[in-house]
Amino acid sequence: MALTNEEINRYTRHLTLPEIGMEGQLKFKESKILLIGAGGLGSPLGMYLGAAGIGKLGIVDFDVVDNSNLQRQIAHSVADIGRPKVESIKETILAGNPNVEVEIYNVRLTRDNILALFEQYDVIVDGSDNFETRYLVNDAAYFTKKPLVYGSIFRFEGQITVFHPNHEGPCYRCLYSNPPPANLVPS
Amino acid sequence: MLPGTVGLMQATEALKLILGKGRSLIGRLILFDALKMNFKNLKLEKDPNCELCGIKPTITELIDYEAFCNVPMPGAGQNDDFDEEEYSIEPAELAEVLNSGRDVVLVDVREQSEWDICYIEKAQLMPLSEFEEHIPSLNPDDEIYLYCYKGMRSMKALRQLEDEGFTKLRNLTGGIDRWAEEIDSDMPRY
Repeated sequence: MALTNEEINRYTRHLTLPEIGMEGQLKFKESKILLIGAGGLGSPLGMYLGAAGIGKLGIVDFDVVDNSNLQRQIAHSVADIGRPKVESIKETILAGNPNVEVEIYNVRLTRDNILALFEQYDVIVDGSDNFETRYLVNDAAYFTKKPLVYGSIFRFEGQITVFHPNHEGPCYRCLYSNPPPANLVPS
Repeated sequence: MLPGTVGLMQATEALKLILGKGRSLIGRLILFDALKMNFKNLKLEKDPNCELCGIKPTITELIDYEAFCNVPMPGAGQNDDFDEEEYSIEPAELAEVLNSGRDVVLVDVREQSEWDICYIEKAQLMPLSEFEEHIPSLNPDDEIYLYCYKGMRSMKALRQLEDEGFTKLRNLTGGIDRWAEEIDSDMPRY
C-alpha cells in the first residue's frame, strides 16, 4: 500500500512528524476503527479520525437526528433532522476526506451481531450512552481480543481510558462489576 | 462542549494504538471536570476476581444485557402491589379538571432548571430532591395532582404522599412532555 500524491500533500503535517512519518501514515491507512455511536462522542471521533486518514471507519448507530442533538452532535446539520445519524455522519466525513472508506451499520448492537462485526476491525471506540451497550461492548471486545477506547460523560464530567485486558490492564467490569440500579440511572 | 473534549481524547488514544507510539491510557483513567477545568489521572488495576477477565471467569460468553442492566434497587417497590394505574390521569382529563375551576392543587416535582423552561399554569414547584420539606405545606384534604417530565419522578412523590396518608392523589401520565404534545402546543419541549 502506498499514498497517492494527493494524500501525501493532504497529510503533510503528519508526514513531517518523526513519530508518525510515512510509516505511521500508512499504518493509519491500513487500519480499521469501529465507532459505537454517531452522537456527541461519535461526531468528533468520526470527523477527526476521518480527517487523519484512517483507512476504514465503521460506525454503528440506529438513531435518527433530532433538533435537540445539534447543540453537541456536530457531525449533523439542520438539513439532517429525521435522517439516520450514520448516513449524516458518513456524508460529513467524506466531505472532508473522500479517501476514507466509511461503512455504516444502522442497527442496534446485540449479542447476536456484535462479535462478527468486531472481528472486522482493529480498534473499537465506545461512544455509547447506556450501560447495556457498555457491558455488551466491553465483553465483546474481550472475547474478540480488541482494544477498546472508552469514553463517557455525565453532566460536566468525562471519563476516558483504554481497555485491553487480553494484553494488559483492566476491563470495564474490573471498574464497575455491576450496573447501577435501573431506577437510579439518569435518563 | 464536553463530548467534543472527551471524543477527541478517545480519537487521540485510538490513533496511538494504531501507531504503537507514546504511552496509552491502558491501566489509567482520566477524570475530566469541565467546570473546574481539572484533570485527574487515576491508576487502574486489573481485578483478579473480575467475572470476565479475572482468574476464574464466570462470564464465558455474551449474556442477556437487558436483564443484567435492568435490576432495580432492592426495596424500590417494583414488586409490591401498589397500583400505579389507579392513581394515573391522562393529560386531557387533567385539562378538564383545571378548566373546571375546581379548587385543586397542582404540584410540579421537577427541578428549578426544568421549571425555568416551562410549567403548567397554576402549578407549584416542589422538586423531588427536596420533596420531603414540602410535604408539611400540603393538605391531605385537597385534591392533589402531580407531574414531572415523563411521569416517573412524580409517581415517586405520589407514593411518598400516599405513605403519609394522603388519598386524593393523581399522577399525570407522560408528564409535561405529553402535556406539551397533546394539550399545549405552544409549550417548548426539551
